[in-house]
Amino acid sequence: MPSARVIRDIKARHGVRANEIARRAYLFVARNETLSPQVRHHAQLQLNTFGRYTRPTTVKNRCVESGRGRGVISEFGLSRFQFRLKALAGELPGVNKASW
Amino acid sequence: MAAFVSPSRVAALTKLRCSLFETSYNPQNLRTGAKYLRRRLRGPAMVGYYPDKFNIPQILRQYKELEMVDDAEEERLIDVMDRKKRGKGAPKKAKSAEESRRLTKKR
Repeated sequence: MPSARVIRDIKARHGVRANEIARRAYLFVARNETLSPQVRHHAQLQLNTFGRYTRPTTVKNRCVESGRGRGVISEFGLSRFQFRLKALAGELPGVNKASW
Repeated sequence: MAAFVSPSRVAALTKLRCSLFETSYNPQNLRTGAKYLRRRLRGPAMVGYYPDKFNIPQILRQYKELEMVDDAEEERLIDVMDRKKRGKGAPKKAKSAEESRRLTKKR
């Protein structure tokens, strides 16, 4: 069972996907200096009505195995300890313990 | 030494160059917001970050006609009932704001 934070993150990811195109359209209008200020202002107000879980910045890459938010090694999507466990168990191809 | 070229001539040249190479003519360097349209969509890749895991309750909900029972969940519910009978259940939720304040003070 994933932790509440992971579930929240999954919710944010789905929200971003569902609202991405509409948000982009409003962003285009709001940031377009060739349009009239009134139109741009309205577009910005519309952007502000989008919920928290529609912004791509609310998405965080958490550990796939443990759900930990910090110390995640992005190449593997694992937190540092889960990475160590899996690497020692030989589950990560091409990863072996340094020895010289 | 370079000959003097008037700004209007330079602008005309730039305009002509833009029409030839099909680039947009933007002499005041205004922000057009084109980068928000040009950028790739990130949503589809974001959704697939966590791998799908085998989720028993979800499968049972999906295939109700199988009439299968989640043993772990049944056992948990029985445990909760037993605990309630012994008076060890979860405390009652406060119904009003005043009640909630009273409960927090006791702690």
